[in-house]
Amino acid sequence: MRTKVTSLLILVMLLALPASSFAQEAAPAWLEETMFASGKINTVLIVVSVVLLGLGGWMFAMDMKLRNLERRLKK
Amino acid sequence: MRHWWWKVLCVLLLVYTAVVGLQTPLGPGLVHVDPARVDTGLVEIQLTGYATHFASCTSGNHVWFEKAGIAVCQPDIKAISDNTILVKVSPVHSTSPGMWSIVVDNATDGPLRLADAVYINSDGIAMTAAPCGMMTDNSSPSSFGPQFPNRSILNETIRNLFFHVPMWFSMIVLMGIAFVYSIMHLRSGSLDHDLAASIAVNVSLLFGALGIITGSIWARATWGGWWTSDTKLNGSALTLLMYLAYVILRGSVPDAHKRGRLAAVYNIFAFMLMLVFIMVLPRLTDSLHPGNGGNPAFSQYDLDDSLRAVFYPACAGWILLGIWAYNLRLRYGRLNALLDENESH
Repeated sequence: MRTKVTSLLILVMLLALPASSFAQEAAPAWLEETMFASGKINTVLIVVSVVLLGLGGWMFAMDMKLRNLERRLKK
Repeated sequence: MRHWWWKVLCVLLLVYTAVVGLQTPLGPGLVHVDPARVDTGLVEIQLTGYATHFASCTSGNHVWFEKAGIAVCQPDIKAISDNTILVKVSPVHSTSPGMWSIVVDNATDGPLRLADAVYINSDGIAMTAAPCGMMTDNSSPSSFGPQFPNRSILNETIRNLFFHVPMWFSMIVLMGIAFVYSIMHLRSGSLDHDLAASIAVNVSLLFGALGIITGSIWARATWGGWWTSDTKLNGSALTLLMYLAYVILRGSVPDAHKRGRLAAVYNIFAFMLMLVFIMVLPRLTDSLHPGNGGNPAFSQYDLDDSLRAVFYPACAGWILLGIWAYNLRLRYGRLNALLDENESH
């Protein structure tokens, strides 16, 4: 069930990606400023953060799975 | 020790990637020209550099404009700061309109080039076709330790090479593992092989998703849009959708053996198509990604030695992390399957 929900979320996100390219002119100025400041170093920081958040999220999901397994074992 | 040496290696490689990949300074480069279009009259053009030494270099600066093999020296220049230089474009005789590249040169930074930097209209503005007198004194720019090249558009984001590209390599390796297990399942009919294949796909989708999100952010800062209709982007999106379909297909068949065979056959086709979408098609057409429309992106034009020193360990580290995550997830999956079996008996 959980994997299906995750998959669906990713699917929706993927489908929404091309649509956002039409809205690129409307990108908020603060985001622009953050991403392009100091030789675009903040873009690198955002990318690294996304990778760490993604892996962290995976760790949480794994944690839940193991907790369910422990619960089943105790029964 | 026997079982976890590669996990230690993985952590060490990723620590190296983070430290060296983020800490190595970026080399000097020209980043901005203002105004980017010159029409008539005497015009002052401001050039902006990044990590440059316009004011503090001892040699003084040379600035010249280039177009179609002609080099035109600009003698009237003033370095305001290390990152700013003012150039007065002097009208002398008429030239053809068009885009000119700008080169700034000093002994500390070496020649810095910004391709097609300024549009110069012919009427009124023109330049003598005389090259700068001392273009040879900068053959050996003094640099301090390793630096990453400062390429136009990319600038600092060149570091994303260590955090975006290896995500895809991890994904491809995991999909390869799934492919092998799918073949093994068709040969053996073992449900464990089917489980191993499905879990490899599962974890590969995590890396694929990270690859596509980081790629989108990188594209915004360099190509100007969150998504472009580049072949490689659409190919990778298709790949992810195709593998999501695998997850959904496999989840929709209740009978375990039928599910395994169906999923394995689908997965073998999916893997082949993935190779076509990501490795073959982008090389047959033009792509914004380096190394497409021809050869892989490992040529000397795309990858500097300073980048290789981090990029290769980064790839090894991220691939090992992917295999590690797969390993954990598989062990959980096997325990769960064992428990299911015990409960049904």
